Amino acid sequence: MESLDRRKFLSGAVLGTAAVTGVVGASTLGSFAPEAAAAQRKHSVAAGEIDPNFVEGRVISAQKGMLLVTSMDKSMHRIQLTGATSVWKLRPTTADQAKVGDGLYARGVRMADGTLAADAVWLNIVNLTVHITSIGKDVMHLDHHGDRIVGHVVAGTTAAVYNSTPAVSDLSLLQVGKHAQVIGAWRPDTNEVDLATVYAAA
Amino acid sequence: MIESFASVQQVLLGGVLLWAAVVKLRKPQAAGRTALKRLVGEKYAVAAYRAVACAELVLGALLVAPPAVAVEAYLGAALGVGMLGYLGYAKLKAPESSCGCLGDKETPVRARGFLRAGVMAAAGVLAAFATAWWPVAIVDRPLATIGLLVAEAALIVALSPELDHRWLLPLRRWRVRLSHPLASRMDVIPLESSVQQLRKSDAFLSVFGQLRSDLLDSWEEGEWRIMTYAARTDAGPATAVFAVPLLDYRPDDVRVALVPEAEEALTRT
Repeated sequence: MESLDRRKFLSGAVLGTAAVTGVVGASTLGSFAPEAAAAQRKHSVAAGEIDPNFVEGRVISAQKGMLLVTSMDKSMHRIQLTGATSVWKLRPTTADQAKVGDGLYARGVRMADGTLAADAVWLNIVNLTVHITSIGKDVMHLDHHGDRIVGHVVAGTTAAVYNSTPAVSDLSLLQVGKHAQVIGAWRPDTNEVDLATVYAAA
Repeated sequence: MIESFASVQQVLLGGVLLWAAVVKLRKPQAAGRTALKRLVGEKYAVAAYRAVACAELVLGALLVAPPAVAVEAYLGAALGVGMLGYLGYAKLKAPESSCGCLGDKETPVRARGFLRAGVMAAAGVLAAFATAWWPVAIVDRPLATIGLLVAEAALIVALSPELDHRWLLPLRRWRVRLSHPLASRMDVIPLESSVQQLRKSDAFLSVFGQLRSDLLDSWEEGEWRIMTYAARTDAGPATAVFAVPLLDYRPDDVRVALVPEAEEALTRT
């Protein structure tokens, strides 16, 4: 119920249908120029250095918004998720969807005790260049440099981007034998991927 | 009967070997992708590949040309067994490499490659029982022998991943053209399209520097899709709320509001 109220409140704030004090409207935000936006982002990590505010790894324990993760280099990290942390797992979802065994990328701010206070977490996300070897009902078989991958089409979620035009839910222009790039959520320890977005030529 | 079948194995075996030899000799650079690179070293891979091709060429020619001698067939079978060994080596030591058997297509060693080598070895053994040169056997029993040859050739082709693009992919393409399995889906506006539109909008760019998270939540509100991000302003943590036109592509109409966290807390009590 609380989340419904929150959604209603936030909708009102942005659409101006509710009188909300303290909300900064678009007109008072200052310059809309892209340069202004770019200027606000600073890169504090030099090339070749490890970014302390980024973690990659597999979840080995998950409880109460705290994830324990081992990275490829065997280092361990604690990652704190809060209500302000975006969690992606095929689609934007909630922190409780982080499960043991999931692959993870996390970006955030390193705290004094070494915990990463995560701003954004992507679970099992993969980005693959493939070619489509066959198409079936709710499934696409993909070849990723000789590795066979089963891509599951998820109704209502899987989108296609043809020739860099806006994403659509119509997948009927995908063709067998053609190259594609897919963003999806890996099913841990399988060769199966739930498809989020398929980029292809049509 | 069995002698006729045995006799035509020579042309099958010989034909496949000649084909393999020609493909190898035409594109010897394919050796770089095969397990030969691992077996004999990168320096000698192309030379070894050519040597295999020459052996195949000679043996293939001997098998196809008269007379039919059992030793040719045994050599063919031995080549098949050798191929099995090579494939086993490739699978164990260089699983990422191609077979390189029948073309330069990138085709990792899998069950089909083993089956094909097995069929070749078996054909070699059967060919050893040949009693006549193969054209004689065909004239003797045209229907049975040609039928067998066609079936065996089809089997070899089916077991050759190098040839999939010639028949399997077109077949699948044709099937998908007849009725696309993914065609009859419900028509929804994917979230990705709203994200794309949002990222193109001035409203998004104006607060981009203050955004901390990726997309937190999204829902539909009439003709709008509302999307939220965690943000940090000078006044403290906030939620950036965007309203993106749901049905049209109008990035200029995207609206944004920054809602301070304190303000939200008030609404919860």
